Amino acid sequence: MHRLLEFIKRIYVVLLFVLLESIAIWQYATSSPYTEAKILSRTTAVGGYVSKKITNIDHFFALPGENGMLTHRVAELEQTLERERELLSDYTEESWQRKMTEEGDLHYRYYPARVASMTISHMRNYIVLDKGARDGIKKNMGVITPDKCLVGYIIECSERYSVAMPVLNTEFTMGGSLSMTNYTCSLRWAGESPYHIDIIDVSTYAQIEVGMAVEAWSERLPKGVIVGRIESFEHNAAKTAYSARLKLAADMSALNNVLIVENTHYGEIETLMDNIESQSKP
Amino acid sequence: MYKYIPYIWLTLSILLLQVFLIDNIDLGSSISVWIRPMIFPLIILLLPVEWKSIWVLIITYLIALTLDLMLGGSGIYVITLLPIALARTTLLYLTTHRTTESGDQTQLLARISVGQLMLYIGVSMLIYHALFFALETLSTASLMRLVVTTLLSTLCSLLLSWPIVRLFTSKVVG
Repeated sequence: MHRLLEFIKRIYVVLLFVLLESIAIWQYATSSPYTEAKILSRTTAVGGYVSKKITNIDHFFALPGENGMLTHRVAELEQTLERERELLSDYTEESWQRKMTEEGDLHYRYYPARVASMTISHMRNYIVLDKGARDGIKKNMGVITPDKCLVGYIIECSERYSVAMPVLNTEFTMGGSLSMTNYTCSLRWAGESPYHIDIIDVSTYAQIEVGMAVEAWSERLPKGVIVGRIESFEHNAAKTAYSARLKLAADMSALNNVLIVENTHYGEIETLMDNIESQSKP
Repeated sequence: MYKYIPYIWLTLSILLLQVFLIDNIDLGSSISVWIRPMIFPLIILLLPVEWKSIWVLIITYLIALTLDLMLGGSGIYVITLLPIALARTTLLYLTTHRTTESGDQTQLLARISVGQLMLYIGVSMLIYHALFFALETLSTASLMRLVVTTLLSTLCSLLLSWPIVRLFTSKVVG
């Protein structure tokens, strides 16, 4: 104990320096979304490498579970392929040509990635993925689990890593839609439970019920990406819309492998929206 | 208490000069992108080297915190000024090969030539500006621009610091 005190007495200036610098860096990093994303991507470039090595061990022990899921997915894809084959057998030569040309222009591309590090206990959580710009990852790509559950979207990329904003972030914004209906809603996370998310602005005409699935409604993602299932719902204060609490479909505390989704038409949509916005300005 | 008064005056003068004069000089948007002089590291660099590091660190923290509040730095002044405060004795040794000797009551800054003093201040200012601009941009995309801004701003800061250093060393340190 005496030696420890002597040691602290010798380095207390450095300790104070580290403490004050850490507070200032934290303050600076959280001062704006830009610094937050930049500092996070820079620090995690190093930290991510170390985390990757450590998580490789976790991946090894998670292999049996992943194999089961992959087998399930392969079975699903085989079924889809079989359906496509049946459909194609009915095509005429002309429609076959048309179909092939359409399919050559893939609407969505999928990039498998692994979680290098992530947080779920803060108000603004982020996920660091082990794929970056050199793997073709760009901002605004969607992130889903292999079983098509919503995780978030990419907000920053470095050469080898990318940072995604998950649904568990109070600044996360995305639209949703009630499964099997045309009713849309907005997704919001209040910063409470990492297993739940809220939806707001659901039309009062919607036949909402407990257990109903809610899908993501965004240009970043294909149709059929599940956000979660409704656990409870109520009218808002003005009784003009429903708000509901969902149980998240993706287990954010056990994320391991994810798929990054690129909408190849996203740039075109974005340019179109920019044009409209610039035209509407006085 | 009496011996601290010049340092209080120095701090106040430099802070007011920086905030109300230098930061408000309008060089035109095309020039002010490249030249952003900052003379406040002088306050820390001109503090007696004989003072205990802990006090220098606390004083620096308070000054940097004031700058952050006045200029909306969100912590950037604390991050960049504290390393200068911690490393200034090392920087002084590297540039002048002089260290404080125990029992010597004469200020070290008074015993070095003006050229050596300006070299020490110049190197420290260069490190400070490089740290500040690197942290502000947080990007290596325009590295050349970062280097040029650092060099031009340091040079400009040194030109503005020269009369202050001369006045202070002749009236107080000397």
